[in-house]
Amino acid sequence: MKRLLVLVVALAALGLLLAGCGGEEKKAEQVLKIGTMSPLTGPYAADGNDIRQGTEIAVEVIKGEGGIPGYSDILVFPQDTACDPKQAVAAANKLINEEVTAVVGAYCSSSTIPSSDTLSEENIVMLTPASTNPKVTERGLPYMFRTCGRDDHQAPAAVKFMKEVENVKSVFIVDDKTTYSQGLAEGVAVAAKAAGIAVLEHDHVNQGDKDFSAVLTKVKAANPDLFYISLQNSATGALMVIQAKRMGIDAILMGQDAVYHPKLVEIAKGASDGMYCTFGAIDKDAPKYKEFQTKYKAKTGNEPGAYSAYSFDSAMAYLMAVKAAGTTDPAKVREELLKLDFTGASKQLKYVENGDSGSNYTVYRVSDGKFTPYWNSLTGEKY
Amino acid sequence: MTIHESKKLWIGCGVGLIWFLILLWPLLGITPEGLEFGKTFKVFGYVAVAAVFIMFFYQVKEAGHLDMVGTPLKSATGVVGQVYEKTPRWILLAIVLALAIIFPLVTGRYAHDVSISVLIYICLGLGLNIVVGLAGLLDLGYIAFYGVGAYTYALMSLHFGLSFWICLPISALTAAIAGCIIGYPTLRMRGDYLAIVTLGFGEIVRLILNNWMALTNGPNGILSIPRPELFGFNFKPLWSMYYVILAIAVFTILSVYRLNYSRIGRAWEAIREDETAAELMGVNTFLLKLLAYAMGATFAGFAGAFFAARMKFVGPESFSFLESAMVLAMVVLGGMGSIPGVILGVLVLVALPEMFRGLELYRMLVFGGVMTLMMLIRPAGIWPAKRVGRRSEEAE
Amino acid sequence: MDLEFFIQQLINGITLGGVYALIALGYTMVYGIIQLINFAHGEFFAAGGYMGVILISYLAAQGLHPYACLAIALVLAMGYCALLAMAVEQLAYKPLRQASRLAALLSALGMSIFLQNGLMLTQGVYDKAYPTEITSGGFEWGLVSVSYMQIFIVALTASLLVGLNVLVFKTRIGRAMRATSQDKIMSALVGINSNRIIAITFAIGAGLAAAAGIMVGLYYGSVSYSMGFVPGIKAFAAAVLGGIGNITGALIGGLIIGMVEIFAAGYISGEYKDVFAFIILIGVLYFRPTGIMGENVDDTRV
Repeated sequence: MKRLLVLVVALAALGLLLAGCGGEEKKAEQVLKIGTMSPLTGPYAADGNDIRQGTEIAVEVIKGEGGIPGYSDILVFPQDTACDPKQAVAAANKLINEEVTAVVGAYCSSSTIPSSDTLSEENIVMLTPASTNPKVTERGLPYMFRTCGRDDHQAPAAVKFMKEVENVKSVFIVDDKTTYSQGLAEGVAVAAKAAGIAVLEHDHVNQGDKDFSAVLTKVKAANPDLFYISLQNSATGALMVIQAKRMGIDAILMGQDAVYHPKLVEIAKGASDGMYCTFGAIDKDAPKYKEFQTKYKAKTGNEPGAYSAYSFDSAMAYLMAVKAAGTTDPAKVREELLKLDFTGASKQLKYVENGDSGSNYTVYRVSDGKFTPYWNSLTGEKY
Repeated sequence: MTIHESKKLWIGCGVGLIWFLILLWPLLGITPEGLEFGKTFKVFGYVAVAAVFIMFFYQVKEAGHLDMVGTPLKSATGVVGQVYEKTPRWILLAIVLALAIIFPLVTGRYAHDVSISVLIYICLGLGLNIVVGLAGLLDLGYIAFYGVGAYTYALMSLHFGLSFWICLPISALTAAIAGCIIGYPTLRMRGDYLAIVTLGFGEIVRLILNNWMALTNGPNGILSIPRPELFGFNFKPLWSMYYVILAIAVFTILSVYRLNYSRIGRAWEAIREDETAAELMGVNTFLLKLLAYAMGATFAGFAGAFFAARMKFVGPESFSFLESAMVLAMVVLGGMGSIPGVILGVLVLVALPEMFRGLELYRMLVFGGVMTLMMLIRPAGIWPAKRVGRRSEEAE
Repeated sequence: MDLEFFIQQLINGITLGGVYALIALGYTMVYGIIQLINFAHGEFFAAGGYMGVILISYLAAQGLHPYACLAIALVLAMGYCALLAMAVEQLAYKPLRQASRLAALLSALGMSIFLQNGLMLTQGVYDKAYPTEITSGGFEWGLVSVSYMQIFIVALTASLLVGLNVLVFKTRIGRAMRATSQDKIMSALVGINSNRIIAITFAIGAGLAAAAGIMVGLYYGSVSYSMGFVPGIKAFAAAVLGGIGNITGALIGGLIIGMVEIFAAGYISGEYKDVFAFIILIGVLYFRPTGIMGENVDDTRV
């Protein structure tokens, strides 16, 4: 028994030492390393894997164009956060140990915020493709960038649609008590009240619930014009939509950017017909997007998910900035990032001083089994 | 190892592999397009080869062919074991302490992070050890006390601006009170009922933390929690936090050690062995069970306050049932009721998955398998306590 | 309106309660016989759901009539989960029968993590959609809507329970199961092979969980690899509530937990419904520590 003890202690100590000394083996040759942080396991694995794959495609595209001068290779280090702040910080520390110079991630705002503190201590550039909580870019961190939109733009866009296009008089809001969904739902409630739409009720379900019959019975009894669904992922959204339709709720259904995903339509099928979702405007006919789509499908066999395009753009933006700056020095890269103005796969990308890149929320509608753009919030026109 | 036994082993292995194939194929092989066998056989191939290899290795070892390697190894470890026995306790402890102190100076940031996690879980494991290992109360909701401690510090520093050092005992106190509140209804329950009730309490606490927006800011958690400060030195760098948690962990180890070998500890063990007999011998089971919960919760409270200071952020997701189960696994794997056992259990369950991070998707699969395997090989734990009998309910 | 709201929630509650009852049965039977909280039971539920969708899509692609697909898939999935449960028992629980209870508990936890990740690796991280065309539709009755799926779930649960009762109380194997759970040593002395009985108990419990998994998949439209964990815990709470080891108790416990959840969500608030379910559990156990119907475990001492 004693020998087992000695063995195990030795192993553990060795393991820790190895983990710590990982940095010594790196050769003098320059290799550009970027990391991704997203939930690769757990309930948000769908979007998390989209983020990882989007980044990998971007790296491939850059390598196909000749790579970055001065660097022999570009490596991607994916890390799993499982939408848990603790694991996100651990992943951030692991990436710091791997000596990455930039991180694309995270997905959940509750993971991005604490891990960005850790990464900014080491001056590592962080570009989030999916965290929409306004606080992400409002803390004065110089190397925090956001490629997606913000919730305080998404909510008014949704309400504008409700009022001007659908002429909605009453709305029932449901969220699942996560940072992101609840923040957005509250934004919608406030904006709706200001616009004169009656908020019949703002109810909650729990993350991970499968059975929504109780809440949906309430929705049916209240009989709103529009039922706003603010959930953390498209799988839960599909469950909600299927049950709503089965219960005979004929209110207009509207979701948000986490619920927007081709998988929603795949699972919910007919029940999702006519449903609306807000999401950043992506011009699917633009050549850049089509190029991205072909490469993505060729490599992974799936259609790009909601966040693949954003993470693709985040990685592209960083790599292009490094190319322009000629170095990975964070201050110089930041300068270049702020100068960028290019057409990405998801939108026209231009970063402002605090790291945001503007939101252009479009309302998409499910017709013929897929999401098609329906209404542009900035121009107020239908497609 | 006779031919007969060896044949039985091989047949058993073969049957097992066939079962595995039958279970694996439907998951991988049935698709709407048709039945395919390619993927299944690929995976099955790996597993079969590994299994055959292990069987072969085991048989060779039993047959004694490996003695050329085995005996020198055994004598080497035997020598180490003898040296270990001979050196007085305090020298060993001093060596370990010295290693622990110089550790951050020779390793990188990631190792700091992992070792801080290890130390936090050591505090948690030792606290749970009091409840489960010493007093024999199967607590599946232990992580609730951790959460209470963390949120106490977060809220105290947010609303009242109290410093970390003052909040440390306050967090421990609130956690202890929570321990008494949760422990009280469970005093009449036995064994596995206790388990589900404590699990229920753990979930209730997590749901309250998640849903009571006004108090805890709900799922957003509490941000910007300050780091501790001492004489003007702000503990911003990670390695400085390491020393704080090292101090807390050493304090926990010493306290648990003293509790273990005190009258209270003996009373807890009596309750664990046979509650009725203990009651008859004059042990106040009611008070002592409450005390067990409270003491266990105190150490969780310390760990929780530190956790909040280290992450600078607390959210309800960190306090789920799975975390409770992990801490329980660390205690049982290491050896219930024994301090070095728990420390070893924490090392194995926290440090090893970090080493496996390279496996990414397979990490948790391997982790689950390893946990089951460890229980099959050493059900008493890696380093079981010396003074453990069997619980009276299991006496058979 | 209020009466219809109440009736609707009642129907929702019965449906959900039926699902929990099916899963709780597996827990309660296994606990009754070897005093083990089988954490991996939730994963049998998830595996059943997955097998259901795999088989249904395969059979549908071969051109069989939807109802035939469903029936065959149900039977095959139940069989598959029964085999899985027997394998898990042989591998992870049998060697630990003489060891402490906590060791078996942790082995169960390890198997739960292993199976869940195994499902994730073989089936992918995304949810798998169920072909719901076969079971859509329902009828309305004023403001109350009852879907065919709900009726199907209640009917199947009821028939499975009747079948189980017949098995346990009227057949020889059932008698052997009851004997083994009452007193393992004596039943071995009268010639009952306890290993076989234990394996059969696991198999039946897992089969019921698989049926629940398929129904959940059809009802909610999708299955995910992590869907077994939370229902597993709730079903265990239901089993304890009704009296662990007691079959009727599992049914009652499942219905109560299902109803409390739905009514708390309907009348009080959707976010705290789990809190209410657990509070009811703790309350009942405080006043009646062995559950509503009383427990049924092997607690004889020699």
